[in-house]
Amino acid sequence: MTRVHPCLRWWWLLVVASVLAIGPTCSDRQARQRGEELFQQNCVVCHEAPNPELKKQLPKLEDLFQSKTLPSGAPATDEQVRNTIIHGIGTMPAFEGRLSDEDVKNLLAYLHQLK
Amino acid sequence: MNLKKLLCLALGCAFLIAACRHGVKTYQLRGQVLDKNPATNEITVNHEEIPGFMPAMTMPYKVKDPAVVMEVEPGDKIAAEVVVQKDGNDYWLEDVRITDESGRKSTPPPAPPRRLTEGERVPNLPLINQDGKTIHLDDFKGKAVLLTFIYTRCPMPNFCPRLSSQFARIHEDLLKNPEIYRKTHLLTVSFDPNYDTAPVLRRYGLAYLDNDPSGFAQWDFASAGPSDLRKLADAFGLIYFEQGNQIAHSMDIVLISPQGKIVKYWATWTTAELEDALRTEATTKPARQTAQAGGMQ
Repeated sequence: MTRVHPCLRWWWLLVVASVLAIGPTCSDRQARQRGEELFQQNCVVCHEAPNPELKKQLPKLEDLFQSKTLPSGAPATDEQVRNTIIHGIGTMPAFEGRLSDEDVKNLLAYLHQLK
Repeated sequence: MNLKKLLCLALGCAFLIAACRHGVKTYQLRGQVLDKNPATNEITVNHEEIPGFMPAMTMPYKVKDPAVVMEVEPGDKIAAEVVVQKDGNDYWLEDVRITDESGRKSTPPPAPPRRLTEGERVPNLPLINQDGKTIHLDDFKGKAVLLTFIYTRCPMPNFCPRLSSQFARIHEDLLKNPEIYRKTHLLTVSFDPNYDTAPVLRRYGLAYLDNDPSGFAQWDFASAGPSDLRKLADAFGLIYFEQGNQIAHSMDIVLISPQGKIVKYWATWTTAELEDALRTEATTKPARQTAQAGGMQ
């Protein structure tokens, strides 16, 4: 029987640990990237471009999660923002049926990193 | 003319051309023509993303040069310049080039239904308003009515949100003059009845009425069953159809006289133009209205 050095017996543990460590990081980065795409496609046009024709200007979102409350006064939580995106609020239209749960998760991931 | 003078002339011309574009933004569009409407000078284009302006979608666009509408055919792939006024008031296509004719449809699409012309009586179809109450256009006889179509989930600020914002400004202005207020009515009709139920329309309306429900007395937000909605849209020349998870649509505003007849449509407009026309129609002398009515019957 071939003898294996003790360090090499556990090489697979090293691989698993690496995957666990790197995996979520890649996934998070992809989520933020996808979130940024969605942000550019759906949000920028109202939140980042003032339009004097509109009754109300929607707030900028760069520090959305830096405050304890949203511009509406509601707590700045993922659930509250998700609810706002899906059902709309005030003159902001609802995105129900247009953005999937995954889309909203990715958008939230992107909004969290905005400063 | 020496070379130096020629160069100065060319630079001068370039400056003049650049100056003419002042006040607008331009974007490049690439897409496929799905439909055209010479009557409204519009083509409907399924286009790629227009960075900085609009995601990929199907939209009707006005075309600056009417000859283009005659030349392009559904199926053609085109490249064009979208010209947008910086204040967002208006946009249109210029420099439309057909890049590929191979997809051109051999049979022309069916002609869009004929919309009612000025002086014709509007259809008295049932609508359900924001309170869940059935209303008819005839209910507003005796008042000048400004009617438009929207859907509450519209994400394009230059479309439905703009229309509702303009109506809100008109409503606020009319509120200052009780006499005119009583003689006018605003009507916003949704072409997304499955989503835009009465409670949704009420919430939407309140956002544009500063949360004052008394405003519904002068501004109704309504929808209708799919069949009646299609009849109403056809009567007013509105184009709308589902496109992926959005609704592509044209923008239509129509002024209806106190006698229930079409007065005017707008292809381009400002809030002031709409309000002036509404005020004028509400205070038009009966003699002219009678003569007009007699001429149309």
